[in-house]
Amino acid sequence: MNKIPLVIQREYLTRVKKPSFWVLTIVVPLLLAAVYAIPIILASRPLEHAHVLVADDTGLFQGQFRSGRDITYHEAGSIDYARRELQQHDSLDAIVYIPARETTLPRDAYLFYRSDTPSLTIQTDAQNQLQEILRNRILLDVHGLSPEDYSLITSTHIKLRTVDIETGRDGFLQVKIVVGALLALLVFMAVFMFGSQVMRGVMEEKASRIVEVIVCSVKPFQLMMGKVVGIGLVGLTQFALWVLLAGALVTGVQITHADLFEQATARHSQTEIATKGAEATQQYLTEQERAAQYQAGQGIDNSIQELIEGLTGINFAMLILLFLFYFVFGYLLYASLFAAAGSLVDNETDSQQFTLPLTIPLLLTLLLLPSMVSQPSGSLSVWLSIIPFTSPVAMLLRIPFGVPFWQVLLSMLLLLATFPLCIWAAAKVYRSAILRYGQKASWRDVWRFLRPGSKA
Amino acid sequence: MLTINDISKSYGSFQALHHINLHVGQGKVFGLLGPNGAGKTTLIRIINHIIAPDSGTLQFDGHPMTLADVMQIGYLPEERGLYKKMRVGEQAVYLARLKGLDKDTAVRQLHQWFDRLEIDSWWNRRVEELSKGMQQKVQFVVTVLHNPRLLILDEPFSGFDPVNADLLKREILRLKEQGTTIIFSTHNMSSAEELCDDIALINHARVVLCGPLSDIKASHQGLPLDRIFINTVQSPMSD
Repeated sequence: MNKIPLVIQREYLTRVKKPSFWVLTIVVPLLLAAVYAIPIILASRPLEHAHVLVADDTGLFQGQFRSGRDITYHEAGSIDYARRELQQHDSLDAIVYIPARETTLPRDAYLFYRSDTPSLTIQTDAQNQLQEILRNRILLDVHGLSPEDYSLITSTHIKLRTVDIETGRDGFLQVKIVVGALLALLVFMAVFMFGSQVMRGVMEEKASRIVEVIVCSVKPFQLMMGKVVGIGLVGLTQFALWVLLAGALVTGVQITHADLFEQATARHSQTEIATKGAEATQQYLTEQERAAQYQAGQGIDNSIQELIEGLTGINFAMLILLFLFYFVFGYLLYASLFAAAGSLVDNETDSQQFTLPLTIPLLLTLLLLPSMVSQPSGSLSVWLSIIPFTSPVAMLLRIPFGVPFWQVLLSMLLLLATFPLCIWAAAKVYRSAILRYGQKASWRDVWRFLRPGSKA
Repeated sequence: MLTINDISKSYGSFQALHHINLHVGQGKVFGLLGPNGAGKTTLIRIINHIIAPDSGTLQFDGHPMTLADVMQIGYLPEERGLYKKMRVGEQAVYLARLKGLDKDTAVRQLHQWFDRLEIDSWWNRRVEELSKGMQQKVQFVVTVLHNPRLLILDEPFSGFDPVNADLLKREILRLKEQGTTIIFSTHNMSSAEELCDDIALINHARVVLCGPLSDIKASHQGLPLDRIFINTVQSPMSD
């Protein structure tokens, strides 16, 4: 009778029932989201309004400071007057003082404050305005630029977009880097996290000696596979919940910020059409105008828009399928080896000598991520994404950039061919090692267990 | 009930069992005695099909022993344990189901056993909250729950206080009366003397003494079993 389903059930349920599983599944992503959301929320909240006096000895900045949502600038005339005012009125926060110089343009300005250091908002705003006003003065007064030319210069905005000439799709290189790196990291963490859970589970069974009772009813191979599969299902459950959670979040944002998405999708499809036809130039111009409109008129943050635009261009169904493939088989490969490592030792400290060689390929891939990102189709990336021990991490990094079909196929086939070998070897070691108590295993033992004809 | 034919097993150059031949009679308590490292546990693992012998065969009820027959065995190992974080009832049901019981039967029978041993209140406690003696009781119940025809107990009394050891002894005898065959491995000679019908003494991978307890005692001028044990183990003949 096949007992694997029973073992799987126990491994799965005992873990899914733990509060820590739900903490990791729900609370951690929410915390992460909060880490990103809180600064944005805080930043968009109006600050306590500040009043700043301007004392300008040069006359260049006269009436030029623009008051905004957070800061009001007041002309104070002389610095002495401003100084007295600041000392007498608590409602004033600081003085911007620009001393005159004999021959050259002003080089230093000062921000005087009372006892509290002025907020960073005041400092950056004053600095930016000083810089801008001075530049305007030079262009308009010294070089005599017309107001039209001036506004043209200051409104220039050019962005380098990467476009696939075949499909006419925008490359969104930066978004791809982020998505690829996230996928690679996620699969690395998942394989590592759930793999070591398998190892700890095996060690627990060995250390508590319950394994001796269980192997009377279940073959060691069934016990090992039950554990590997059960914990793998825990991982898949976690991903499914994360996808659901992310889906809910995205839908929530879509409903509350519908405008962001509509524009992104519109722009995206426009880019696509643009490169295909002969009117490409024409279209691009229109697009530039539109971009300028967004910037000027609606004040939507460009980088967020671009992110969403890039994301809508990615084939997520494909990405999720490939992620699942590489997670499942990468996990099976590593988890079975981790199980073997766990069966060899009685405690976690001894496990190092066996886990280190297992983690090296994964860690190496992770360390090489930056070089792979800079050359997603370079020979290093290609090789790492084909070798089964590194392919789960390396291939997922490359997927968003587009990988030739034969490379994906080869990588998948090699992984499919390798994982049964790993399970076979792991099972051989496991069934011999799991019932050896109190003896520290060595690599020689491992070799002995693996030798053809070695019997438990 | 169980016949062990010419079983040998070695680990590398170490000979754990050397041509072992034994017969365990139906309904008997069979004492498997011997010093530490004699090969008792290896023999028990071979009977349980946990490990395979290098040579030799096992007969169960007159036919070559199969994996299905292993399900008729209840085994309480010397090195025993439970999942520490799991609840007692949940864990007992799991182990019973691994032995082929369906869930409802397992729950029903477990409650009966737990009631009799007055441990039913532990059902929802985590194993790590129980004392070692309490865990042993749970383990014993799990071992016998599926009504095994052959019960193998490896040092069953280690870790038990005298009161619980006595309780366990009574349960073992009760099972014997119900017709269960019992293999009882120990180096505690007084409990062996008390419980066993037949004994086999294993030393250095070989059977050095075997037969009905009464015959053996008669041929050793009625010496207590521990004397016989020491004399046999120390005699140069046994090597």
